Amino acid sequence: MASLTTQQRQDLIDELPRLKRFCLSLTSDPSDADDLLQITVERLLEKGMPADAHVAKWSHRVCRNLWIDEIRSRDVRSRYAQSEGAIEGAGTTAENSDESVQLDRVTAALERLPAEQRAALVKVAVEGCSYAEAAMILEVPIGTIMSRVARARKALTEDLEWKAEREA
Amino acid sequence: MTDESKNVFDMDGMRVDDDHLLSMYIDGELDAERTIALAGRLKAEPALRARLTAMEHGDRLVKQLYASPSDSADRDLTALIQAKNVAIISSMSRWREWATGAVAASVMAVVTLSLINEQPSAFNPMTMDKSLAQALEQSPSRAAGWEHLDGERDFRSVLTFPAADGRWCREFLLAHKESHWRGVACRDEGTWVNQVVGSEVFLEQETQYRPAGAGDIEKVARFIDETAADVALGPQQESALIASGW
Repeated sequence: MASLTTQQRQDLIDELPRLKRFCLSLTSDPSDADDLLQITVERLLEKGMPADAHVAKWSHRVCRNLWIDEIRSRDVRSRYAQSEGAIEGAGTTAENSDESVQLDRVTAALERLPAEQRAALVKVAVEGCSYAEAAMILEVPIGTIMSRVARARKALTEDLEWKAEREA
Repeated sequence: MTDESKNVFDMDGMRVDDDHLLSMYIDGELDAERTIALAGRLKAEPALRARLTAMEHGDRLVKQLYASPSDSADRDLTALIQAKNVAIISSMSRWREWATGAVAASVMAVVTLSLINEQPSAFNPMTMDKSLAQALEQSPSRAAGWEHLDGERDFRSVLTFPAADGRWCREFLLAHKESHWRGVACRDEGTWVNQVVGSEVFLEQETQYRPAGAGDIEKVARFIDETAADVALGPQQESALIASGW
């Protein structure tokens, strides 16, 4: 299992865009997402995967585990400060275009979602996965995906509406 | 929204609220019967319709946010994945440093090429070929500027040093489109062989080139530290060595 087969390498390359979005959905930070993707690929190349492994599923699992390791190791206060800074930054762009303001709002709202809800929403709403496909990749029951996506949409909608009212 | 409207169950038999129903409707996961029922309610209930519109609007924003991730890093990762027979030195510790607030400038993955002659099927700027070997053989080290190689690559030798095992080695930079690589190759019985090649995914501008030992090239610098038997050659010494055919 030390190295990837040629087919697994190609599958991993094909998976990179989705894996990158998954990294972003987990980290909610583009720089962290790039780093997480890099480390995930390195780990996959270093450790390999079983010959019969589903590359998308396996790579997402490795990615998620690496991110869990990472957030466990981070200082809570540091993360809190970064998060608050990002949210405050999003609220100071009132002079920008309406679209830009809305994107800032949704960025902040997404940051407040639990990572697993964000990941499920991105899989379904952005990548167009069915609940069954998302459940297979994220290795949770279909009902969990349905629930996470719905709760994410609900929180996002209410957050955006609240923010819009507050800034009106 | 009436109590009756909440009396709906999902595929696992769990009761779901309107937000769950709308979410499943957006995703095309409602069965025909419930889709028809919901469509009827949407016609009759402005509040429900507004909620659906708000959810769809949120979806559009999320899609927009995730629609244009930079792909330059993907190209570097693609090259890394395609490079066979590599030993990965994980950059995990470096990521950890960044995550805890240290300066973040670039991502580096260092690979040690053990079987250079085995070519990956796709073009890989890390691969030692005739053009790169010739540049290593003949080009003097320099602090700025690039020498154009075939395959849309730019090359710059950075320094030359003797290895402890008697070989001559050179640190070099290689640029290919938006990707930058830093490596060390050693001359082994007349053939240049890559020893360490690092992909600098987000290398800064040329003017910000940093010599070996700076943070993001620590793996290459470590290799040089462990391998070099002496300090790097000066320009005249290097020039004489090149002229003598090594």
